[in-house]
Amino acid sequence: MVDEPADVLIVGAGASGAVVAKRLAEAGFRVVCLEQGDWHDRADYPGNKLDWELQARKDWATSPNIRGLAQDYPIVEDDSPVSPLMYNAVGGSTIIFAGAWPRALPSDFRVRSLDGVADDWPIDYFELLPYFYRTDRDFGISGLPGDPAYPPDTEDAPMPPLPIGAAGMKVARAHTKLGWHWWPEFNSINSAPYDGRRPCVQRSTCQSGCNEGAKASTDLTHWPKAIALGARLVTGARVRRIETDASGLATGATWIDRDGAEHFEAASVVVLAGNAIGTPRLLLLSAGPGHPDGLANSSGLVGKRLMMHPFANVAGLFDEPLLSWQGQFGDLIESLEFYETDARRGFVRGARWGLAPTGGPVNTALPSRAGEQVWGPEHHEHVRTHLGHGANWGLFAEDLPDEANRVTLSGSVADASGIPAPEIHYTMADNARRMLDFHIERAKESMDAAGAYKIEVDRLMRYSGWHLLGTARMGDDPGSSVVDRWNRAHDVPNLYVVDGSCFVTSSGVNPTSTIVAIALRAADHMVETRFEQRVPA
Amino acid sequence: MIATDADPIATLDAAARETFAGVADHLIPAASDMPSAGEVVTPDRLRFVLRSRADLLEPIRTALRPELGSDVRARLEALAGEPANLAALQLAIVAGYYTDKRVRDLIGYPGQMAIEVKSWLVPEYLEEGLIDAVLARGAVWRDPSTGQRAVVENQPRTYAERFAEHVPESEGGSDGGDRA
Repeated sequence: MVDEPADVLIVGAGASGAVVAKRLAEAGFRVVCLEQGDWHDRADYPGNKLDWELQARKDWATSPNIRGLAQDYPIVEDDSPVSPLMYNAVGGSTIIFAGAWPRALPSDFRVRSLDGVADDWPIDYFELLPYFYRTDRDFGISGLPGDPAYPPDTEDAPMPPLPIGAAGMKVARAHTKLGWHWWPEFNSINSAPYDGRRPCVQRSTCQSGCNEGAKASTDLTHWPKAIALGARLVTGARVRRIETDASGLATGATWIDRDGAEHFEAASVVVLAGNAIGTPRLLLLSAGPGHPDGLANSSGLVGKRLMMHPFANVAGLFDEPLLSWQGQFGDLIESLEFYETDARRGFVRGARWGLAPTGGPVNTALPSRAGEQVWGPEHHEHVRTHLGHGANWGLFAEDLPDEANRVTLSGSVADASGIPAPEIHYTMADNARRMLDFHIERAKESMDAAGAYKIEVDRLMRYSGWHLLGTARMGDDPGSSVVDRWNRAHDVPNLYVVDGSCFVTSSGVNPTSTIVAIALRAADHMVETRFEQRVPA
Repeated sequence: MIATDADPIATLDAAARETFAGVADHLIPAASDMPSAGEVVTPDRLRFVLRSRADLLEPIRTALRPELGSDVRARLEALAGEPANLAALQLAIVAGYYTDKRVRDLIGYPGQMAIEVKSWLVPEYLEEGLIDAVLARGAVWRDPSTGQRAVVENQPRTYAERFAEHVPESEGGSDGGDRA
């Protein structure tokens, strides 16, 4: 331990924590990060091994409740049809995320003004645009410039697009016939050598860690640079609470190491980057005499407004082989044809579609997510007709904020360190249900136009809570938001929340690109205002 | 990977292994020129599965318990009420079967391959004009200032137009001499 307090203590070494660490280290800040997980060696990732599909269902599952690893914490999810997904390691969930990299759209920041529901953000798309460009460069994005679903860009993605595969071509041709939008997906996956990392080899095992290092995970893209600049990253460090002084300023964090020993890390500024489950959990755990309902919670909104993007899958089966077990996972193509509100549809807002690979033979042979199982003599025909013959539209529905959807602390379940587990309470709203129903029908039309002879639908997947958002929302009014437009807690002037918790509304797109752009903007502001920053005596 | 030195198969007695083979043959029988799972998922293949996934051993052992009798259908019906045990048994059979080289050859699955991305080639969808068709329809995004679909002046209507607009000056017709 160093004797002098850190300038900035970051909790969580995932996407947003890494972005803030690197930026602040570049500016000369003394940065410390506490991460409950460990470093991974990508040679150990199972994607290029024979037992990949076995490992993907246990130690490399996306649900911490299925993995149950020492670095994970349990999540009580009995009161939710959707399971939150995440990963605890240096790199956080970027280790196992798919790598799809769409930005939130301009309308996403003006939902109240445009559609009369939820709230507007205090910032907008165009304010974030310079940060999108910078994070695109830092993470390494592949994509075809010029997508008319977004305002024109002044800077292109650093790399050309990844292939869209035979399945992508089929659906792209169908959308051309239908007159519907489609575009090759932007992915944070190298299509060419970039920043010392190798290009993608289309193995399609992105969600089990990338053996090539082609997918941008922050253990590769950010942490080595931050550490080279002096940042200190402590692994196996599970934070129990954020401490405060009599004036209400954060003074650091109490954390527990792998052996159960307790430590205190002092800092002038504390940054939370633990995702929209872990961050509100920690704020609620940090209740004290001056803040009995949790730290930074005078609004009562910490943990509330949890959004997870209800997700449906529409799979088309085709006669000809498409080699659809290969390709970035990641998406091949996307469609935003039905993304924006059309009141005639009976709901507001919309959904993004992403076309993804379909998995290997074990995944094909076992009962489907929709419960279909084929055993007996027909099993072989089932596998022959499904394996490599499918195209999958994943439909991400915008989830509107609802205070009843929330994270609380469990009174009965704790993690391995004895810290109360988070408990989630989540119901899918009628608006989202109608939205998914509409989009499923349109996606079936897409597959039909592409020539699918059979279409299979999974209406609400349980293991689809990849996008954790909204539980410490941003806003100008301290009475109705947790952090301000610069991600600083209204109640605690030296506490920042930079992960997806700050989202005001969820958008209907994969959020990592937007999360890290907001985090970089917050870090820039910390640098610019460093001499005005209030810190503990 | 969870791995132990002990042979996981040793903890399954002969009766349990026989029951396992019976269930495997029932779920994936020989048909359509494919071998049965009972034939393919030998002790070696099951050992491979359990060395990768030691956590499956106990639920599999429970699913194979003699109390469930000798009738495979009756056993599977009983296991429908024990979904974790049934899922473990199904996964071991399926994973043992589809990680077998002969089976993979028969279904034409070589495993997840490393395929070179040739990002320097012009994509087929560009050559086919599919992107031009998207561009020709104009902007799709909703302009927050109007609430309507955006109108973008001078937006490229083909990819060639768009590409030409964004070629760096030094590569676009000038010899670059004026940049000295």
